[in-house]
Amino acid sequence: MLRALAALAAAASLIGCGISDDRAQARAVVERFLDAVRAGDGEAACAQLGESTVRALETQSGQACERVITRLEHEGGAVTRTRVYITSAIVELRGGERAFLDRGPEGWRISAVGCRPQDGPPQAYPMACEAEA
Amino acid sequence: MRRHLRDNALTIFFLAIFLAALVGQAFVGHSQFNDEQIAHRAPTVSLGSYVTSSAFLVDVMENWQSEYLQFVLFIVVTVWLVQRGSTESKPPGQQGTESDEEQKIGEHAQPDSPAWAKARGARLFLLSNSLVGVMALIWVGTWFAQLVTGRVVHNAEQLSHHEAPLSLWEYAGTSEFWNRTLQNWQSEFLAVASILVFSIYLRQRGSPQSKPVGEPHRSTGAEG
Repeated sequence: MLRALAALAAAASLIGCGISDDRAQARAVVERFLDAVRAGDGEAACAQLGESTVRALETQSGQACERVITRLEHEGGAVTRTRVYITSAIVELRGGERAFLDRGPEGWRISAVGCRPQDGPPQAYPMACEAEA
Repeated sequence: MRRHLRDNALTIFFLAIFLAALVGQAFVGHSQFNDEQIAHRAPTVSLGSYVTSSAFLVDVMENWQSEYLQFVLFIVVTVWLVQRGSTESKPPGQQGTESDEEQKIGEHAQPDSPAWAKARGARLFLLSNSLVGVMALIWVGTWFAQLVTGRVVHNAEQLSHHEAPLSLWEYAGTSEFWNRTLQNWQSEFLAVASILVFSIYLRQRGSPQSKPVGEPHRSTGAEG
């Protein structure tokens, strides 16, 4: 019985470690993105976006991601909170904006950035985002 | 050893098919999860990651909680309510917690009765309600685990739609949580009602869950 409880505790701590790693990685991706935008480095900023996000941005703007990403109207700000649920994550910024991420083949990548609640409660309505897949 | 196996064959059989079904669920659930990941251009996960994820655990917990609730209700309600003719019921007129003599407690305990059956006070109370107590603890624990793991799965879905995640309290009020809960409860309650009624009129020769084949329909609590 004690062995089973110890095994359960070990498994729970492993799951905890996994989530904590994911949280740090998701946060780092958003921080790299914000640093790159601030530095005007479009290439580095686009490298933090998911493939379908880049495609959607280029289709909507008619320009290469590197050219348009640094001109998006988003406030940015320091990361205040990161939450991970299985292969999805949300990162909240000080100004109230959120970034959404998915864990893809190359790790965590941003699926939407510059997101704010719009018409109704954000739990019930998709947020309006500056760029999204 | 062989005698030990034979004496415990019923439990061993059900534990073995439980484990086989759980392993089967893990494999097919893993396959289904990865099919959906591929459809969403997301990376596949290993079997180990899947079985420790909320995606697998919520499916397991929602079924476990309803099974334990079924037994909690069945154990408690059959103290007070009867079904004439059913093998699963006490005969009419015996409703209630019964006398100390009928329950073989206190001075009516037998030499080989459990030690706490001869005691009074808290120990006797604990033993007298230990079956439903443990079942109820497991039910509450697994239902809470369903709530926790279900919220993680629901929030992953929320984020994929760029919606905000829900707190535990908010998730407890969602139709998804109650749909997962009630769809399991209703099937358990139907199963109990079915065995109560079917055991009045139908027989399975040799089974202790059935009356002897020739036992009258009206006799209650008789097991073959």
